[in-house]
Amino acid sequence: MSRLAAHIHDKRIVICCGAGGVGKTTTSAALAVAAAQDGRRVLVLTIDPSKRLAEALGVTSNTPDPVRVRADREADAGIQAPGALSAWMLDPKLVSDATVRRLVRDPKKAQELLNNPIYQQVTQMIAGMQEYTAMEALHGFVERGEYDLVILDTPPARNALNFLDAPRRLGEFLDGRIFQMLLPDREGKGPLGGTTRMMAAKILSGVFGDEFYTDLQVFFSAFHGIFAQLNGNAQKMRVRMQQDDVVFLLVTSPVRTALDDALYFEDRIRELDLPLGGLILNRSRHLAEARPMPDSGLLPPRATETHRAALAHLVVLAERERKHEAEHRELLSTLVQNAPKDIEVLTVPEFPGGIDDLRGLGELARWMLDETHAHKA
Amino acid sequence: MKLQPILDRRVVLVSGKGGVGRTTVTAALARAAAAAGKRVLVAEIEEPATQAQSTLARMFGREVLPVRPTLVAPGVHGCMLATEEGTEQFLGDVFRVQTLARLALRNAALRRLLHAGPSFHEMGIFYQLLHLVRQELPDGRPRWDFLVLDMPATGHTLALTALPDILLRLVRRGPIAAALREGQGWLNDARTGCAVVVTIPEPLPVTESLELVEGLQATRMHVAAMVVNKVPEDPFSAEERAALDELLPPGPLYGKEELARLERTRVSLERLRGAARAPVLAVPQFLADGQGAVEAMTAWFQAEEGLGLSGGGAR
Repeated sequence: MSRLAAHIHDKRIVICCGAGGVGKTTTSAALAVAAAQDGRRVLVLTIDPSKRLAEALGVTSNTPDPVRVRADREADAGIQAPGALSAWMLDPKLVSDATVRRLVRDPKKAQELLNNPIYQQVTQMIAGMQEYTAMEALHGFVERGEYDLVILDTPPARNALNFLDAPRRLGEFLDGRIFQMLLPDREGKGPLGGTTRMMAAKILSGVFGDEFYTDLQVFFSAFHGIFAQLNGNAQKMRVRMQQDDVVFLLVTSPVRTALDDALYFEDRIRELDLPLGGLILNRSRHLAEARPMPDSGLLPPRATETHRAALAHLVVLAERERKHEAEHRELLSTLVQNAPKDIEVLTVPEFPGGIDDLRGLGELARWMLDETHAHKA
Repeated sequence: MKLQPILDRRVVLVSGKGGVGRTTVTAALARAAAAAGKRVLVAEIEEPATQAQSTLARMFGREVLPVRPTLVAPGVHGCMLATEEGTEQFLGDVFRVQTLARLALRNAALRRLLHAGPSFHEMGIFYQLLHLVRQELPDGRPRWDFLVLDMPATGHTLALTALPDILLRLVRRGPIAAALREGQGWLNDARTGCAVVVTIPEPLPVTESLELVEGLQATRMHVAAMVVNKVPEDPFSAEERAALDELLPPGPLYGKEELARLERTRVSLERLRGAARAPVLAVPQFLADGQGAVEAMTAWFQAEEGLGLSGGGAR
């Protein structure tokens, strides 16, 4: 069994990291297919998949709960999955709403919070919210234990580990004195003296405007408890991620900068004391087998000038192709040399035209689990 | 001449998913604009809380770009838009009373607040951008008359362009609202602001770039051009292509992959030209990468697009 196959078989959480455009979402989805084929109940938590891939997984409209990929569609795609494959597209608003409902037992009180105008606008924001809610969503799915394995496709950011850090920033803010300033004055009973508070109020209303400052106070006093809980969950997950049943996989592509990024992420993952389990090098052409070069033997007996010109052009293309493959081999060896000893580098070929359906994911899954495609230093 | 109108804009946002060469296009636009005599500022957006490596800086032979504009190439200044810098500028502008401004700036807790919220990061970036657009020379002309911005991943790009509308629904008055409205005035007016979407001629990137164009237009950005990067040159005439079919053996052969790629390119370009609601510009693949690619692309922009050559460096 390859090491990746072992991860898919044993782990409870797999997190796919990498720069944008390297194929993280496709890789995550294919790993989920592999896990379901291995008999596991698996959930792939994707973020911002392309429309076609979302359709392939059946998660086009933002569903409130994960969607189980239908067995007949799996069968049509040649996938036999004794486990269960479910997918969900991270929707920050749904995650936030569910959290509020869960934490505020009284439905009327919960609805009041959900109706808060600041809450409504903030949860519509695209950036940031993904980072804040990814951890909460992961926490929820892991806690409930409906799945043997949750695969997280991390939010697109130059630094794909931002989602680990966002909750910490929220926590710092909640613990800070500024938060006290934003809470409505309870007649000087807070930890801040009257003068400080007045000065702070002056600054804050200057920044936000009087009207919005008042709105903010209402918002923060209403959501104080929720934020604290969210932060608590994020901290728990952060610790949870250092356990043995979690693995981080780094996804990269064969461009020089992407390799630099991969090495950078690897440092960061290690710095944070998180378990790095392997590198996946996508779209690599290093494996292409040697094949004949086009030559004059291809010309018909009575070749025209046009035939010869066409052949000459083809030779140029063929040389480019061969050079390209040689470069990929070189990049792979650099990566394998630079990877730590216990880390496998799995190479995945370029699937012409990309992968955007279940059948393609099935093919990719088979490829990834094949031990002969893993490289060790 | 699809790119020439872009040079007349004051603020140009270059967007596209990772790996398509968006940063190269940004840098080449900056170089070409500078050659046309524009006072160019090229900028990227910091990633919150981390110091990820800067691809844009590398295109100018540097490791990082500072937050204050610095000369990085002839006629081109470069900088990084950072939340903190934008926030400080904002506070400085809000509190004309010096003591209050200084007090606020020194307040670590306030800074934390501005780092924590999901929109505060974008707001800081937005404000720094606005601050740079506003800068003037002593004679009243704009300090930067071509400000080109290398935008982050798709979601974050839309987060920034959607910011004014979303926040203005919340904050209707006060300095934040005023800054948002002023920024909107620059970005959403097609005479002063536009977006350029970069993609490559492959099926999935094309689909995603069309989605990005829709998203940008939904946030009221004018998409001035779609740049299809890394387009492989098709060396075959129609007759040669027909003759080639007689030569190709059925089995594996070097060159067949590249032929398939040429076909995908043809289909992708056709699809883009049919679907895009913006001019489509096909830019060839250059052999060099990094700075070499920027130079090759700049030269190509000038030679093929006439970019910058008629721009009037003598203004």
